[in-house]
Amino acid sequence: MLAISVMNGLVIGVIYALAALGVSLVVGIMNVINFAHGELYILAGYFSFLFASTLGMPFAPAMGLAVALVFLFGLLIERLLIRPTYGNDMYSLILTFILSIVLQNAFLLIFGPYPNKPPLWVRGASEIFGLFSYGNQRLAALVSGAALIALVFLVLQKTWFGRIIRATSQDRAMAEWNGVNTTRLNMLSFGLGCALAAAAGVILSPVFPVTPTAGVPIALTAFVVVVLGGMGSMWGCVVGGLLLGLVENLGAAFISSGYKNVFGFLILILVLLVRPSGLFGRAKL
Amino acid sequence: MTTSVKWIWPAVLVGMCLLPLGVGIYPQHVLIVSLFYVMMAASWNLLAGYTGQVSFGHAAMAGIGAYTSGILAAKAGLNPWIGIAAGTLFAALLGLGLGALCLKMGGIYLSLTTLAFSQILHIIIVNEYEVTRGTMGLQVPGLIPEYSKLAYYYILLAATVLVLFILYRMIHSNLGLNFRAVQNDETAARAVGVRVLHLRVLAFTAASAMAGFAGGLYGHYLLLVTPEIPSLDLQFYVLAMTVIGGMGSFVGPILGAFAINILAEKIRDYGEYHVLVFGLVALATARFAPEGLIGVWRSLRRRPAR
Repeated sequence: MLAISVMNGLVIGVIYALAALGVSLVVGIMNVINFAHGELYILAGYFSFLFASTLGMPFAPAMGLAVALVFLFGLLIERLLIRPTYGNDMYSLILTFILSIVLQNAFLLIFGPYPNKPPLWVRGASEIFGLFSYGNQRLAALVSGAALIALVFLVLQKTWFGRIIRATSQDRAMAEWNGVNTTRLNMLSFGLGCALAAAAGVILSPVFPVTPTAGVPIALTAFVVVVLGGMGSMWGCVVGGLLLGLVENLGAAFISSGYKNVFGFLILILVLLVRPSGLFGRAKL
Repeated sequence: MTTSVKWIWPAVLVGMCLLPLGVGIYPQHVLIVSLFYVMMAASWNLLAGYTGQVSFGHAAMAGIGAYTSGILAAKAGLNPWIGIAAGTLFAALLGLGLGALCLKMGGIYLSLTTLAFSQILHIIIVNEYEVTRGTMGLQVPGLIPEYSKLAYYYILLAATVLVLFILYRMIHSNLGLNFRAVQNDETAARAVGVRVLHLRVLAFTAASAMAGFAGGLYGHYLLLVTPEIPSLDLQFYVLAMTVIGGMGSFVGPILGAFAINILAEKIRDYGEYHVLVFGLVALATARFAPEGLIGVWRSLRRRPAR
């Protein structure tokens, strides 16, 4: 029981971390929270379902295509909705909230309220350290999620593009004086943030099927992770995501499964009370 | 302009009193629901329009009012009017707590925390079905011994006038001046001695109390309190009404609430498209006419004079 809960916590924790990285990237650079983050996660799930199950594509290109489309959609959202609100954070909150409701209702109209599930990548189960058997699909989700997070960190730490992102999130004006085209960077990082939500969506949707409103708890948890880790902190996302995944699953197993999502909220309140800047946050945003 | 303002409010009030007479039960119901939305949108506007705080927990506060009063009346047999007062107070206390907790960290934190709060409330209501009857809904007694749409209409009208009066006095006082100062330039306001944090928490507490009050009345009108009241859909409605009507103007949300609630009933005849339609309209309004219909009207009036 304990071992399985820990395992489940790690799988979902990696996905939380991935989704939170997307939120954190956008907050760090643009100081904008995208309340439609969860709906983009769901959109990618629907796309990969559409390409793989309905059109019969193999799962890998279907997933790649789904993430690419959501990336383009993210660029479009930034250009059409977010860019005119620069300097007025309130309107970006309102606009993305409305967008999330619009997308939920569009999903409901197009796909119906039923859960949709893209095909599994792998079948069967494996023995873990001889302790318990665990679904191969979940293991694959864990490994691919962790690999993607590693890739994000590699890009951020080792490439020129990563250096631009880190510079801009540390000091926007200074980055501009050094020649960074911050308008272009905003658009690109917003798209990438959406793509990270999409990646989380395509990885997890074979395990947890997508419904029009299933993105809400995922996005909410990602937001809590971002606050817990510290707004704009990338390491905070990874540590916070894993922590929240573990707390939720252990809480569900040993306290109450109906209140799984409440534990995240309790953590949020605790963080705001004790250390509002989060685990790895800068004191002032 | 100033001379016409003097008689326009009494005239509107007389008109509102005469409006439900001679129409059927169903239009009366639509009007009552509209009054609930007027209270919700006008008090949400105090936050978003006047103090620059985007709360996603306003519907949740209405739910707090409705469930507090409903549970007290249905389980403890308390008089619904006392229940509504208790619900209003409870919503105010929660608003005070949430506001004090996250407002010192800035606007984004309030949005995140209120969104989380509304989700958690939803989960608690669904899980504690022994107390709340979950998604089935809690049957609650009415406010008056004999059910009559007309009587409920006048009760909600009186409540709406009360809420709007308090809001009007708040906005057109020194307090309102401080609200505007904070929204225009927080640093400058702080520099001339405005206590920004106190002001924000005060506005959030007052708006939460109003939402709790409106929710309590609404629950006792419907006679059934369901998780539909503290839902994100209702929150979206309130937000869309305010944004489309005109955020930051006193009249905008009132007109927006009436217009959208009545239009929603019309669109509903063609299927469940109304949320999608209003979402797209609200998206376009927030993007292209951030001051809403009132703002469009004002700029049209101003243009010929220039």
